[in-house]
Amino acid sequence: MSYQNWLNYLQSAEKNSMISGRLRKVLYKFPDGRQMAEEYNLDTGIVQRRAWRKCKQLMGQPEWEIELGEEPRQLNWSANQSNGAGGGANGAGDADSLAGPEFTLRESNTAPLLTKRVTKKNIEWRIRNMPYPLEIYNVTANAEQRAIIVRTTNKKYYKVIPIPDLDRCGVAPSQANLTVHHQFNTLIITYQKPAILCEMEAQVLLLLKNVETETDMDDLLKGLMAK
Amino acid sequence: MAETEKIEVRDITRIERIGAHSHIRGLGLDDVLEARLVSQGMVGQKDARRAAGVVVQMVREGKIAGRCILLAGEPSTGKTAIAVGMAQALGTETPFTSMSGSEIYSLEMSKTEALSQALRKSIGVRIKEETEIIEGEVVEIQIERPATGTGQKVGKVTLKTTEMETNYDLGNKIIECFMKEKIQAGDVITIDKASGKVNKLGRSFTRARDYDATGAQTRFVQCPEGELQKRKEVVHTVTLHEIDVINSRTHGFLALFSGDTGEIKQEVRDQINNKVLEWREEGKAEINPGVLFIDEVHMLDIECFSFLNRALESDMAPVVVMATNRGITRIRGTNYRSPHGIPIDLLDRMIIIRTVSYLEKEVKEILKIRCEEEDCIMHPDALTILTRIATDTSLRYAIQLITTANLVCRRRKATEVNTEDVKKVYSLFLDENRSSKILKEYQDDYMFSEINEQEEQDPAAGGGAKRRVDVGSGDAQPMEH
Repeated sequence: MSYQNWLNYLQSAEKNSMISGRLRKVLYKFPDGRQMAEEYNLDTGIVQRRAWRKCKQLMGQPEWEIELGEEPRQLNWSANQSNGAGGGANGAGDADSLAGPEFTLRESNTAPLLTKRVTKKNIEWRIRNMPYPLEIYNVTANAEQRAIIVRTTNKKYYKVIPIPDLDRCGVAPSQANLTVHHQFNTLIITYQKPAILCEMEAQVLLLLKNVETETDMDDLLKGLMAK
Repeated sequence: MAETEKIEVRDITRIERIGAHSHIRGLGLDDVLEARLVSQGMVGQKDARRAAGVVVQMVREGKIAGRCILLAGEPSTGKTAIAVGMAQALGTETPFTSMSGSEIYSLEMSKTEALSQALRKSIGVRIKEETEIIEGEVVEIQIERPATGTGQKVGKVTLKTTEMETNYDLGNKIIECFMKEKIQAGDVITIDKASGKVNKLGRSFTRARDYDATGAQTRFVQCPEGELQKRKEVVHTVTLHEIDVINSRTHGFLALFSGDTGEIKQEVRDQINNKVLEWREEGKAEINPGVLFIDEVHMLDIECFSFLNRALESDMAPVVVMATNRGITRIRGTNYRSPHGIPIDLLDRMIIIRTVSYLEKEVKEILKIRCEEEDCIMHPDALTILTRIATDTSLRYAIQLITTANLVCRRRKATEVNTEDVKKVYSLFLDENRSSKILKEYQDDYMFSEINEQEEQDPAAGGGAKRRVDVGSGDAQPMEH
């Protein structure tokens, strides 16, 4: 029941930080070769996006894996993505759906898509493209697997959602903190943050306070444009 | 009647075909590397097999790089058999690349490129990696081909586990993989997300009741459980060549499956070598050096030999085993003659294993094994006659007679091949000796034989004198080589 390990791990990283718009972006380079990028909202102090880059061995550049937040919108993005998870996110209207047969395999854009979001009090998962009514779903917190498991009685969807945030402070998920909604083709799972997690996030913010921040590029550009 | 024949034909395509060396399961050595007389499909050739066993041991230990072994001996004394036995003894984990000397003369690739690809195919790397795989049962598969026959194919597949179901769009290359593996609804497959490799695990039990004609190899498996996409720590065994292809940006990893790799730059190779050494130091990878076997090595020319000289000095080189049936002959690409058609400097780097002619007893044993392999029951007397034929003509010819005799025997609705059947096929099919004898006798009746006579009449014709000498002895020359 402690987040000290995680804090030490963050401490050990080489950190870079910059502000763009109302976002503060932090890049961590850990001694074990992994990299993590975070985006904090300056107004609320909440992490909006977090992504990991793990060292890959066989093939060229490793890819970013998104732990938190939406996938970036980018043209031709899904074309060179073998997993193509973004293909669904961007919808059929984007140029990327026209982009060639370069991909090997991707989920069709009607497949359910999971995104995660963190708010001040809660952790939220949204599973889009889920047309079935609420009774179909069976969402349980599994303390043994340290994950939330989503099942459907019609056997159309099944997902084990790990909760790295809770793992970092050594807490097992509990069913009591879990609520589920369904609207607009979307299943929303909300997990109320335990106190220790809020404490950990505050500590991380304190840690980041000491990291030097580069100049705001947007402001700089605006200044240049004005001349 | 027609119906039964159809079924028979379908069955034949399912069984594994029998090759010249498919009866060999290993080198037939015991624990202390002594050769047993008859074991694992190998017969006789004790010294050569013992030597090969030592080589296998050397490869297994994996410490020595770039050694070269030459298997030398007359035709049909079991050189290729020993090489196949070595491959079997090494197991599937150790890469064993087998090529023929003439394979390097491809129009699409330079000789040295073909050789270095072969060398790098023979070095395996075991890499531990976490990959995402999709494992599920195919519910539905749709592949739409454009009516014109060219252009993009569009594919969709629905996969399910016991818990869930997802639709996937298929890219062009992976459609080819699907078609190659003949994936259909009801198959349980895995797809490696990173490489796009499709692997058929078997058919789902839920489809077992379908009245399909299924071969003996069809495996029935349970529908997978849980999520379709899984992360698994897998140990890849890849060869250096595969890593080269993956990293040569111009082609991408799918070139591996289509085979159009083209030339790979030396810089890429150097980078990969460094990277692999780095991984090895970090404990992420293990190098698993294997064997490159070049059959008919006298077909290589002087350029290849000098390239090999240099390439074998690299510490990433595999153990190279070569085989030749030539004596002192011209080195291809030069006018020099040299033992085995290989330059002396390369020969100096080799250790040479000699294979000797088989004794009559051994020939009999080999023929017995081949009879078993080709599902042919042979009467002992017939086997004795066949052995006699083998010693008089050649072992290969005698082996050819096994299946033909078996067919003749089946014509008369018998199950056991007797002496009559062997005699019949011996008269039906000529061996090389008898054939050339006939040629010698009836040379004049064949086409274009008069040209030689014209040349004889015209002594001024350039090269005529030499040609005449050739023709004189040419009659006796076997057609074999």
